[in-house]
Amino acid sequence: MRRQYVITKNGQVDDLSDAESAGIGVRVLVDGAWGFAGAGRLDETGARDAALRAVEFARAAPGRHETNLAPVEAHTGQYRTPLERDPFAVPLTEKIDLCLRAEDGMRHDDVKVTVAMIRAQHEHKVLISSEGTNVEQDIYECGGGIDAYASTDEVSQVRSYPSQHSGVSGQGGWEYVEKLGLDREAPRVGEQAAELLRAPACPPGRTTIVLSPEQAIMQVHESVGHPTELDRVYGTEAAYAGTSFLSPEDLGSLRYGSEHMNITADSTTPEGLGTFAFDDEGVPAAREAIVEGGVLRGFLSSRETAVQLGAGHGGSMRADGWARMPLVRMTNLHLEPGEGSFEELLADVDDGLYLETNKSWSIDDKRLNFQFGTQVAWEIKNGKLGRMLRDATYTGVTPIFWGKLDAVAGREEWTLFGLTNCGKGQPGQEAHVSHGAAPARFRDVEVGVSS
Amino acid sequence: MSGSLDLAEEALRATSGDDAEVVVHAERSGVARFAASIVHQPTLIENSVVRVRVLRDGKIGWAATNRVDAEGLAAVARRASEAADSARPDPDFPGFAGPASYSEVEGYDEETAALGAADQARLAAAAIEAAGDIGLYGIYTSGVTEIAVASSTGVAAEQTTTDAVCLCLAADKEASGWAERTGWRAADVDPAEPAREAAATAARTRGGGELEPGTYRAVLEPVAVGDLVRWFSYDSMGAQGFLEERSYFCGRIGEHAFDPKVSIADDALDSANLPRPFDFEGTPKQRVPMIEDGVIRGVVWDRVTSARARDGQVSTGHAPPDAWRFFGPLPSAYSMAAGEATSSEELAELVGDGIYVTRLHYLSIVDPRGGVLTGMTRDGTFRIRDGKIAEPLVNLRFTVAMSDVLGDVPGLTRDRMLVNLNDLYEERFAHAALVPAIATGRFHISGTGSGPGL
Repeated sequence: MRRQYVITKNGQVDDLSDAESAGIGVRVLVDGAWGFAGAGRLDETGARDAALRAVEFARAAPGRHETNLAPVEAHTGQYRTPLERDPFAVPLTEKIDLCLRAEDGMRHDDVKVTVAMIRAQHEHKVLISSEGTNVEQDIYECGGGIDAYASTDEVSQVRSYPSQHSGVSGQGGWEYVEKLGLDREAPRVGEQAAELLRAPACPPGRTTIVLSPEQAIMQVHESVGHPTELDRVYGTEAAYAGTSFLSPEDLGSLRYGSEHMNITADSTTPEGLGTFAFDDEGVPAAREAIVEGGVLRGFLSSRETAVQLGAGHGGSMRADGWARMPLVRMTNLHLEPGEGSFEELLADVDDGLYLETNKSWSIDDKRLNFQFGTQVAWEIKNGKLGRMLRDATYTGVTPIFWGKLDAVAGREEWTLFGLTNCGKGQPGQEAHVSHGAAPARFRDVEVGVSS
Repeated sequence: MSGSLDLAEEALRATSGDDAEVVVHAERSGVARFAASIVHQPTLIENSVVRVRVLRDGKIGWAATNRVDAEGLAAVARRASEAADSARPDPDFPGFAGPASYSEVEGYDEETAALGAADQARLAAAAIEAAGDIGLYGIYTSGVTEIAVASSTGVAAEQTTTDAVCLCLAADKEASGWAERTGWRAADVDPAEPAREAAATAARTRGGGELEPGTYRAVLEPVAVGDLVRWFSYDSMGAQGFLEERSYFCGRIGEHAFDPKVSIADDALDSANLPRPFDFEGTPKQRVPMIEDGVIRGVVWDRVTSARARDGQVSTGHAPPDAWRFFGPLPSAYSMAAGEATSSEELAELVGDGIYVTRLHYLSIVDPRGGVLTGMTRDGTFRIRDGKIAEPLVNLRFTVAMSDVLGDVPGLTRDRMLVNLNDLYEERFAHAALVPAIATGRFHISGTGSGPGL
């Protein structure tokens, strides 16, 4: 694994780093008990030592163990991210120049801090199992983002593009970064950060909200992605990340949201950070419905949890590196598009809010009660965007909120975002996942904080 | 795993440039993760990471590797040099740290270092057994960590530390309770204790009731206090947020912003915390008072941020590990002054009518400059009535200004607890908060969530 960051801040190179890590992780199943050991030595001695230690831990693990795995065909094969230009072959000076150009574009008297970031990652992963799986995958990611922080003596506001979560990333080559247009968007980002300082605060109340694709994918991630992870449903994440309001019996019957809600897990999505040929248990990539017409149709699973459920075959097991056990993670989870343009979505709103770019996010341990904040909001009056508002938050309870979804814009408005900061597990792991969404409209939503 | 300073100095010799600095961060650890009283994710990790920073013609670049043979060290030095050559001169870079003398601190325990997989499994089993009939979820983990810093400017620092943590959620479908222990000596972390406490708390949570949103008086257990202070600190108590005007402390140094009973420092030299003598630049750790008797005193600094301040500020020894570098310097050994209450029950008497909070979940910063946080309570939320801890409540959403929470503090407990803050991402870097339970006069509940339990 190799990771490179180029970060500039206020016209200076702030971070120029190039980190690599190599090792072997051995997961064993001994009399129904799991064991795992990772060793940072990529040689026969390291591998043997890791295997012995993993077996020792499995044998010592207390509890009554019974682990059954869904069968998987023993695949052999290779996968490599399709790319035009290897991001590591791009000179660092070219990356710095792009960051500095973007920073220049954000300059404004009220903007005190500008930041531009570009990242690249290459993971070379070989999975070999005693069942006969032998697959080799080369996964390339890159991405970037910009932030403008404006402040006065009392107020601080931030505006980001394409997101506040370390920008966005996708699988691909340098062409992915070029397509983001960081320098093209920079003047708007700087101006809006400054404008937020003078914008009125978003008033509390109940209203119609339209979520930007970037905020809609956060809603999908937190209130659909995590609760449909079967390890959470079965309680194995209970102590840290939490559980789920869903139960196995809900499959096929639970009304998750309105008929406009269609969610798909797709580990084949081009440019998706959760795209692969095989997951970390050797299960081939697939596209599967999670919610169809508002009804729960699937879970994200491992081979073990699929057997527990009696449905599915796994396919969502991912480790964030050689030193961690694979866990049930999101791959690429999308809110499928509906019909019409963004303007048509707004046209049916007499009085509401358009919310753009996630700023704060919190949801309870069963993934029911959530509160999100966005960097910026605009009033919607008589079907048109109006004045800018700051400090907008909205809150709800997952199935009730999704039940208020009354329209999703069409395919032409649908955008894919890749996040690199999805935390879960003990020891902690950061998964890289992608989500696609188009602007989505929800009626009668509580905005602001109850007094 | 040994000889991290030797490894750092070997890597240093492989560098070329005007100056260079090497940090070695090595760990050997085991995590026995359990759910429903079964260890289901046991993880053993052994790794050494070498980070090289090189200064060439005023330009800085860095690279890292875990290939620690001569070839790997030469390669990482070369990549660091290439990065530096591509960079632009940084006029604010103060240079690498020079030689220093470090405080003698504790923080290493031979018996803890010797714990292996079988021991970690045995100690997890002890927790599971102590919980009784209710399912236990959590981890028992112990590890030994070496951090070494060497530089061409004369730094030669090395510390080996140990830590042990037992986190316990006792839960079934309708009940849940939380307790934990952390220490640098495994002997101080009896896994049966938090397991029993968590089970006892869980037993009192069945049938949690709703609560109307509003501002309540509250008792916050140490685990909740530690989480709130940590999240408040991300923007407000580090130099980066302060310099970039996101900190609540901006323009308020010297201001009496909090209750006079509130004092919060960062004190890595205290043996009751997880002691460390130096930071990731090799600068000696200082005890930094951030809030003193309710008055805002300052934030923590590393070399780069102190140079950027351009006001004579010096590093307080808070250069972060790589995993935190985007946040800049942050506290890692929080220390909140104790009060006089003999127990949380006594704090409940001070509160009279309010709520009792054991643990928080999924905090987020709503307004950094305003010090506004949101999150949920979980695993032991109760009503306080007539000065007594009363019936259980469902999980509550809070959205609070920290100036409110810490602005009216009727009391704090005499005893403090070391609260684990390490979520075990990236390389192991044990850190904690030594905090009491507190009573607050203002804790804003903005909604309700799910009930206790799984």
